[in-house]
Amino acid sequence: MSRRVRALLRKELIEISRHKTGLLPIVLVGVYCLLLAFVLTVVVPRVTGERLSEDADFVKVSLAAGAYPGLSADARVQTYFFQQFLLVFLIIPISVAMTAAAHAVVGEKEARTLEPLLATPLTTAELLVAKVLGALLPAAIVTAPGLLLYLGSIAVFAEPGVFATMITWRSAAAIGLLGPGLSLIALQLTVLFSSRVQDEDTARQLAILGLLPFGGLVAAQFTGRFWISTTGLALCGAALLVVWLLLLALSVAVFDRDRILTRWR
Amino acid sequence: MIAASHLTRRFGARAVVDDISLDVAPGEIVALLGPNGAGKTTTLRMIAGLIRPDAGTVAIAGVEMTAVAGSQLRGRVGFLTEAPGLWDRLTVRENLEIYAGLYGVAHPRPVVDRLLDRLELAAHAAVRSAELSKGMKQKVALARALVHDPPILLLDEPTAGLDPEITKSVRDLLEERRAAGCALLVSTHNLDEAERLSDRVAVIRQRLLAFDRPDILRRRLSGGRIRIRVAGDASRYLHAARTFDRGASADGSHLALQLADPETLVPAVVRALVAAGADIIETQLERPALEDVYLHFVNAGVPQQPS
Repeated sequence: MSRRVRALLRKELIEISRHKTGLLPIVLVGVYCLLLAFVLTVVVPRVTGERLSEDADFVKVSLAAGAYPGLSADARVQTYFFQQFLLVFLIIPISVAMTAAAHAVVGEKEARTLEPLLATPLTTAELLVAKVLGALLPAAIVTAPGLLLYLGSIAVFAEPGVFATMITWRSAAAIGLLGPGLSLIALQLTVLFSSRVQDEDTARQLAILGLLPFGGLVAAQFTGRFWISTTGLALCGAALLVVWLLLLALSVAVFDRDRILTRWR
Repeated sequence: MIAASHLTRRFGARAVVDDISLDVAPGEIVALLGPNGAGKTTTLRMIAGLIRPDAGTVAIAGVEMTAVAGSQLRGRVGFLTEAPGLWDRLTVRENLEIYAGLYGVAHPRPVVDRLLDRLELAAHAAVRSAELSKGMKQKVALARALVHDPPILLLDEPTAGLDPEITKSVRDLLEERRAAGCALLVSTHNLDEAERLSDRVAVIRQRLLAFDRPDILRRRLSGGRIRIRVAGDASRYLHAARTFDRGASADGSHLALQLADPETLVPAVVRALVAAGADIIETQLERPALEDVYLHFVNAGVPQQPS
């Protein structure tokens, strides 16, 4: 990473660390995702006295996750839900980090800090990479302990054997490739729009539109209609990283310093 | 060091900058003067490589500003923008250290320490920018433009809105940079500042109206107008004065003449008047203020060729 990218990244991290209200939604959304999974799979069955395996639909969709012959019926349903919420847990905090990314260019322009920044030797690619990483890293820093808490809670509260089904290559592919790939694309799209529109809200909304197909994919998996295998997840993650690089190249190509400085109000 | 040639920039059909050429040598301060909307900021932005000219070229140290060379050339320029543009949540030191990193300074901390001391900002190093006064922000922004010790400085109204004490320290700093061989192009509304600081003045209003040393511009406006006070009635010596200027006039004890080249002709005029019996009390070459020069060129709006 170049010295210039590191310098701008340092600024982004200092800014967000001093903007507590900016970090709070990431934490809250993470906690919400965490709680939702456990309320659905652990708390509700205990409170109502109805076992997960008594719901025929749950049992039916959980078959998509695999047979797991050594597990009880309840544990199989839990495995299915915990696998699904793992993806949600990886992706949802990024939607909040998109707020920071939306600020990337248009926010600097509004604060009148963009012109001195563009007067430095910083290249457009360096500027955009630093902005994406500046939004990604805080989300990752918040998500990482949340992820440990998620897996730890599964070890403590879930049915016996469920924790072992979470420590798989599939989970590793989701955490190591799919999550970062989707995050990079989401944030790059937001930064791209942030350099093309004149307010943060529009940038964020347009980026969310661009992400709808991925959200649809995760939602479809929840219905049990299909299940993305370990290889599928790994390939998706790798493909997403390639797409990110293409998006980065597109963002650099359409970034128009002249227009941003002279036409934006 | 800076060579801008035939710069033109339009916004829609309107030419904001029209065919402006100017140059700044190492160790020289050029003041860019013009009314609001004259194209000063646009000119500085084009020279800084921030926006593209529709026509014309900019060369920094002999290298033409292009998209490819832009990043490297921007590293040789320190640009003070119209607004300080500091990151409010960061302290003064953090702002400067991060810009040092962006300019590729290998060891930012000692460099920033020196700048903070030089600009008397050390006591504010740990203060967040949002808490600074306007004058202090401007000083920090100036420090930011200097953090990589650039050989070229482009300053957009560096002393606008500052109190006299800070203004003086900024001017001292600019003179220091000039002495160190830096080329400075300074946009300003402050004619007194331009007069005190600049080696040459460029008056622009979309086009380059005048570009020369302040004393030459003054002479161009006054056209060598001199007033001579004699003992008694000046009209008695009018005939002697009119051998040099047919339009010479007398008013009480004063004679007024217009000379093409006062520096060489004034001694001859004095000799002729003395020969005619005049007792000369005072000879005064009229020197219009830079403000008069500025207003003349801006109001006339006629481009002048540099002498």
